[in-house]
Amino acid sequence: MNLIKKPDWQLPASAATPEDIFNTPPPARREFLRKLGIGTAGVFAAPLLRGAAAGFPSEKNPAFAAGDLKPTSYEDITSYNNFYEFGTDKGDPRVKANKGWSTDPWTIELTGHIRNPGKHDVNDLIGQLGGIEQRVYRHRCVEAWSMVVPWDGFPLAKLVELADPTADAKYLRFTSFVDRQAASGQRSNFIDWPYVEGLRLDEATNELAFIATGIYGKPIPNQNGAPLRLVVPWKYGFKGIKSIVKIEFTAKQPRNTWNLLAPDEYGFYANVNPQVDHPRWSQASERVIGAGFFAGKQPTLMFNGYEKQVAGLYRDLDLAKFY
Amino acid sequence: MATKNKWPASTATLISPSSTEARAAGASGPGWLARLLRRKTAIWILLVLPGLWPVWPLVLSRDPTVATDPGKYVLHHLGFTAAVLLALVLTFSPLRIFWPKSALVRALNRHRRLVGVSVFVYASLHLTMHFIYEGGFGTFATDWKKPFIAFGLGAFAILLVLAVTSINPFVRRLGGRRWKNLHRLVYLAAGLVVWHQILARKLFPPQVVWIFGPLILLEIARIWHARARRPKKTA
Repeated sequence: MNLIKKPDWQLPASAATPEDIFNTPPPARREFLRKLGIGTAGVFAAPLLRGAAAGFPSEKNPAFAAGDLKPTSYEDITSYNNFYEFGTDKGDPRVKANKGWSTDPWTIELTGHIRNPGKHDVNDLIGQLGGIEQRVYRHRCVEAWSMVVPWDGFPLAKLVELADPTADAKYLRFTSFVDRQAASGQRSNFIDWPYVEGLRLDEATNELAFIATGIYGKPIPNQNGAPLRLVVPWKYGFKGIKSIVKIEFTAKQPRNTWNLLAPDEYGFYANVNPQVDHPRWSQASERVIGAGFFAGKQPTLMFNGYEKQVAGLYRDLDLAKFY
Repeated sequence: MATKNKWPASTATLISPSSTEARAAGASGPGWLARLLRRKTAIWILLVLPGLWPVWPLVLSRDPTVATDPGKYVLHHLGFTAAVLLALVLTFSPLRIFWPKSALVRALNRHRRLVGVSVFVYASLHLTMHFIYEGGFGTFATDWKKPFIAFGLGAFAILLVLAVTSINPFVRRLGGRRWKNLHRLVYLAAGLVVWHQILARKLFPPQVVWIFGPLILLEIARIWHARARRPKKTA
């Protein structure tokens, strides 16, 4: 059953960017906009200039269709963000990440214990990996709220395959960007920038692990982590590092930003688990964003409802100890 | 008159300052503001306004982030308002020690009970909103044990006792010293509120500093002042 009947992001065909312009590499597109007299500061030009445009429109992956899930509205997904690089209020990133911070062009570096180290332009990379697909995933924040997001992107396993890890590679260490000019939140040092995250190699190659380049069939907005954002739906949202510039394959378990900030509250694994509470609040239930003023909370599912796919990864792990 | 019987001696002077004092004070401070703030109606309006504020982002300006989780916004706004008013009302008496003749400070000190009760009202609304936001009392059975919730509840319990004992019959029954000692619990409530706010966020919330910082500085100055005035034991 497809519950997305007439989504509010759907634009009339007349609003679509002509295919030849859409498919031109970024500099040429910018040239075209300059000729039109629309500067980079132009409000309406901004959506065209952010994120990675390659691969759209994406195919829906039927294995990860919405099913019974009701996707959160595009408006809610893109205006309620934890992206401390642009301020600590949920409304900050929507405004501050779109004030001259450019996510196009963007380069990602693959490094560490791999046979194919190197830097890749994001659009080229998407082409190399065979395009993008759409998956609808639950999203559960450690702050006990949740959404359902139709992501566009590619499986992380494909990127791992491209990097070709050696036998020494046991973990992936993800690094986000540093730009103290554009990212106002990075001007204060309450976090040791850049934001870093990590996964075990077998977690990264799990079929669910995903790199998002879009939301609702459009390039991912800056506030949601353009152009490359990790999506690991069985883990709390903070594991989903935004705007990735580097992935290093390591032998040792890397530290992650929230674990460095408060090790007794945020672990390396951060698997969604209704039985293991945050020291200061319960994780047994969650608020569904967009459900309404009097909706209350719904019970949180083990591994955020992805037990079947990921429980095997943690068979020998004490989940209360390795939270 | 009735006022004299209603209040313990210590509060009687600050609630109804003698006319000579009032005249002397009127000459020094910013007259119109002090005159305005002496009026109960003005204070009432000022206290109700923050409660109406959510109408702006929710209905008028339609802030998309607020609209995404309106319950959370209202919940936080009510708690925030209660915290700010609590910190504010506690500055009234130290301010009176340092600027006893200021008309403005004296005007504010006329309304300590009203502002204090408004703290309780906003705290009650905050707690009510918590239950609406949680979708009933179901999560309460486990949540009250969380330090973050427990500290907030502790502060609320104190405010409840203080609000109830602030009605005239109680003030009379308890009498000056006992009433005053009981109402010193408000400082404990303020401490619990500070900790409640700090625990609520993933990172230290900077607003705690500007809400309670000035109060803490004033209280330090008050203690210092009291010590300096205490007669030293001489041999």
